[in-house]
Amino acid sequence: MILDYILRRLGLLFFMVLLLSIFTFSLSYLFPGDVLSNLSGVSNTNFAQSALLEEKYRVNSNYFIQYIAFLDRILQGDWGVSFASGDSVFKHILDLIPATLELSIYALLISVVVGVPLGILASAYYKRWPDKLISSTAIVGYSMPIFWLALLLIMVFSLKLGWFPMSGRVSLLYEIPASTGFILVDILLADFPYNGMAMLDALHHLTLPTIVLAMYPTTVLVRFTRESMLKVMDQSYIKTARAKGLNRGQLIIHHALRNALLPVIKQIGLQFSTLITLAMITEVIFSWPGIGRWLIDSIYQRDYPAIQGGLMAVSLFIIIATIMAELTYTLLDPLSRNQAHGKV
Amino acid sequence: MHKLLLALLSLSLFGCIDSKEEILEEKSQGLVYCAEANPVSFNPQVTTTGSTIDIIANQLYDRLISIDPVTAQFKSELATDWKISKDGKSVTFTLRKGVKFHTTAYFTPTREFNADDVIFTFSRLFDVYNPYHFVGDANYPYFQSVGLDQLIRKIVRVSDHQVRFELFNPESSFLANMATDFAVVLSKEYAMALKANNQENLFDQYPVGTGPFIYKEYRRDHLVRFYKNPDYWKHEVALEQLVYDITPNGTTRIAKILTKECDVTAHPSSAQLSILAQREDINVEKETNLNIGYWAFNTERPPFDNLKVRQALVHAIDVDKIMQAVYYGNGLRAQSMLPPTSWAFEPQKNMPTFDPQLAKKLLTEAGFPKGFNMSIWAMPVSRIYNPNARKMAELMQSDLSKIGVKVNIVEYEWNTFIQRIGEHRHDSVLLGWAADTPDPDNFFSPLLSCTATFSGKNPANWCNPEFDLLLTKALDTTDLNLRKQYYDAAQSMIIDQLPLYPIAHGMRFQASSAEVEGITLGPFGAISLANARKK
Amino acid sequence: MAKFNLFSEDANKSPLARLWRKFKNNHPALVGLWVFIAFCILAATAPFLAPYGVNQQHSDALLLPPSWNEMGDVRFILGTDDLGRDVLSRLMNGATYTFGLSVVAALITTMIGVLVGTFAGISKGLRASFLNHLLDVTLSIPSLLLAIIIIAILGPGLMNTVWAIILALLPQFIHSIRNLIVDELGKDYVTAYRLDGASNWHILSRGIFPNVYEYIVVIFTMALSTAILDIAALGFLKLGAQPPTTEWGAILAENLGLIYLAPWTVALPGVLLFLAVLSTNLVGDGLRKVLQARKAD
Repeated sequence: MILDYILRRLGLLFFMVLLLSIFTFSLSYLFPGDVLSNLSGVSNTNFAQSALLEEKYRVNSNYFIQYIAFLDRILQGDWGVSFASGDSVFKHILDLIPATLELSIYALLISVVVGVPLGILASAYYKRWPDKLISSTAIVGYSMPIFWLALLLIMVFSLKLGWFPMSGRVSLLYEIPASTGFILVDILLADFPYNGMAMLDALHHLTLPTIVLAMYPTTVLVRFTRESMLKVMDQSYIKTARAKGLNRGQLIIHHALRNALLPVIKQIGLQFSTLITLAMITEVIFSWPGIGRWLIDSIYQRDYPAIQGGLMAVSLFIIIATIMAELTYTLLDPLSRNQAHGKV
Repeated sequence: MHKLLLALLSLSLFGCIDSKEEILEEKSQGLVYCAEANPVSFNPQVTTTGSTIDIIANQLYDRLISIDPVTAQFKSELATDWKISKDGKSVTFTLRKGVKFHTTAYFTPTREFNADDVIFTFSRLFDVYNPYHFVGDANYPYFQSVGLDQLIRKIVRVSDHQVRFELFNPESSFLANMATDFAVVLSKEYAMALKANNQENLFDQYPVGTGPFIYKEYRRDHLVRFYKNPDYWKHEVALEQLVYDITPNGTTRIAKILTKECDVTAHPSSAQLSILAQREDINVEKETNLNIGYWAFNTERPPFDNLKVRQALVHAIDVDKIMQAVYYGNGLRAQSMLPPTSWAFEPQKNMPTFDPQLAKKLLTEAGFPKGFNMSIWAMPVSRIYNPNARKMAELMQSDLSKIGVKVNIVEYEWNTFIQRIGEHRHDSVLLGWAADTPDPDNFFSPLLSCTATFSGKNPANWCNPEFDLLLTKALDTTDLNLRKQYYDAAQSMIIDQLPLYPIAHGMRFQASSAEVEGITLGPFGAISLANARKK
Repeated sequence: MAKFNLFSEDANKSPLARLWRKFKNNHPALVGLWVFIAFCILAATAPFLAPYGVNQQHSDALLLPPSWNEMGDVRFILGTDDLGRDVLSRLMNGATYTFGLSVVAALITTMIGVLVGTFAGISKGLRASFLNHLLDVTLSIPSLLLAIIIIAILGPGLMNTVWAIILALLPQFIHSIRNLIVDELGKDYVTAYRLDGASNWHILSRGIFPNVYEYIVVIFTMALSTAILDIAALGFLKLGAQPPTTEWGAILAENLGLIYLAPWTVALPGVLLFLAVLSTNLVGDGLRKVLQARKAD
């Protein structure tokens, strides 16, 4: 049963990745300009070079053969070269994606640690002042454009008070060799006399971007957790328990929490995709050297091979994260398995 | 929720207060410089992009001679002495002994600097038998635009420490060109080592020089890192480390200097100077500079090939408004192509005035009573000569709409921008030029000569034999009075023909944290950080 | 003798009137509604109300602070920017772009979304399965990223942004509508209707839509707030509206360089943006609460 379910999800994953790859492939044709240079990233070729490229990219064969050739190259890690830098797109992505993931993961952690308890708290004090305070703060945070929030925080905490830096991952004077790409891990792995200071410095750099990025998912989780709790509290088994004389605190801890948090877990997984998108804006504002900033720069410069590769990498991450979230949810909640394929 | 955030904030704050002292100490060995664009190359021979030259030229390399910014006399650098023959056709340099090239992760020199390096470096520019001549498509924009590649007949090795440059004809600007930031000396040994591995293409990307700093790493859109050269021949280098933080956005550069993320910043936007000036911990330096910000037309593309159209467009522009809104009073309205500090400067009497009626009339005469659509390419970075081209373009857009000309503003990333201007894809462009030498030729030959058109450095795409003749005549003589006459004629020809419209001369600014000293701004040339140190 | 009253209330009001009575007791939502209406009026009339033209440059009045500041000028109530343009006029016109275009985008999305969503809701078998899988793929990609992808293909520009946002909002919208329809179709009254021999069209128009249109309004407000945020974010990233278009995000990005010198030119568009999104969310939230309460009755 469970195996069957996992297989189905993997099938879905395969289907989605297939669609994504077809879409990415067709981008070379959708983008303006020459298909061959969009695919390869090599422009201004002489005759001999372009004949070589034509052979490699099979642009003279039919679309299907071209697509197969495309898949083959993607799997081998040959994603073309960027117009702007002349370097391999795949290498760029490998260098940049850890920075984005790092930021997103910390922001997700914060939003879970802050958002879920606050949501529970709000539902526990339903319609009393803590609930009102939390709910109204949440709707304010939810309505705040992220770039505006970032600017406000920079103005107050960086420029006025000077507490936090406003750009980059660590002071540039610390030369941290990029072994994993995750700055905190890299600092731990690196062997310097000033390890501790570099760590503190990196944490300082992380603070503002993480808070900015965490704001939206936190408010979503607060609202979602609160509603999920209220829904569960409304169910008859809770009413029965209450009738037996349990107080609200006991009810929540022993009976409601487990059931209410299950959908929240799924929601957390879904937030990851929102985070990666919002991370693009955050990265631009905080000059964070991640994939989002690079992708947006590439759009400015009409660097089509880079856009293509960047979009594929980001979408791939999001699809995998979404499916993983659903899988975890289903493993934890047997009830949902029945719905998974029954509901159309 | 806010409470929790606050708690988090204060937690990380306590950490910060404890260790701030130590961090400062560790950091005081290095300097962070906020630069406005990625370097396009690490060899000054192959580019004229000012933002690149500022980063690489004076930090990694040395030249044979330089020009003293105060006395305007030639100064010895890698050449201790130089002699010009009577006929002016040969120049002999005596080279300094005991100068070492950089030892880097990719190259360890086995010998000191000598005549072979000089010959290799300069023969690359013109000698097709030099193994590196065709690396990077044989494109040496500065030297080609001033015609140095056509001037040198051969370079003779007199001894280990003497070389003789033999010229086809005597030229007054030869020494001045040898003193520009582009005429740096490269290592022949390194070049040959790369050639042995068939890695010639790495030569311009991984530099080896003799300068005060050694290349360590470059990450596109992020940073360039140099370490100090412990064996620098001129003096002890105070900084252990020099990092260029690549920050294209002018506001972010200001913000970074306020938050102390940068110690020095290039070209702080003039809009924000008053804010910086109020701060005690930040020094703002200001220096007149030989430069010109202009509006160039693609004179090969209709309707801009029509002089009347160019005149009409120019008369529609309110330059006073530009001086106020873009330069914030920190610029000098151009009265000619040359700035007033140049010795050949001659104010032009028929400089176009702001006169929309006249503009309208000229446009009608040219056959466009209803106006037309055009593009203005606005450079995306702020340079001395134009701190905010985008804004200037917007002001012009509104001025031009009054005579019926609809303007579309075009922007690209800086290096792409330069490349596309070189391909002459524009209608008109807001650009400028900062001089590399005090020689007036530097304002004409690299920009408006026919050779500059071919090497893609002529933004007006303008090739006028008469004008070229004036420039050649001015170079062929050493008589200052005669030269001045030719340059006067050249200046008025530009205003009469309007291949470009000189708008303003900017001031050079630099903002630095008060801890930093030893950085001087010159009236020309790239920035040098060799003497920089922190208190 | 007390009169027997079948209803708990004096008169049996229409559902809409009852909805309104509940809604207006929710004060934040009510305030949100007024602000929302004000924005709608502003968006429609700004070009006529604005004191100056959006690109009219006053070279005698550069960077004036708002008029309540002692340096300010009463001619320019919210001051001027670095080109001497009236900030108030630009912001008012910004409402047309940011808010007005978002409303248009959300309306178009609603129309297409309801059509396709309904179709997806009533169709069965392979067709539905394929549609749903396709939705699943696009749903997992957030609307802003989808809009960025579409802009990468179409190129930056305001109208491209609007198309991109419509396309990007659609999957979410179709998904919600489909769920609504499927839920409703499963209810007993629909089965009864069907047993009476009603056609699909009858069931939809007489049975389902009268029951779900309020929910569609709620989904519409969600789409609208996303649309506003996305248009502004794209404008801010310079991928959407290009200066000198007065879209709020674009104004903000354009004036970022003045953040120290003239903070009001950055602060004001941000405040307006925030208010527009907040009011939309308050109305949507208020409506949803009322609907939930009614369901519980």
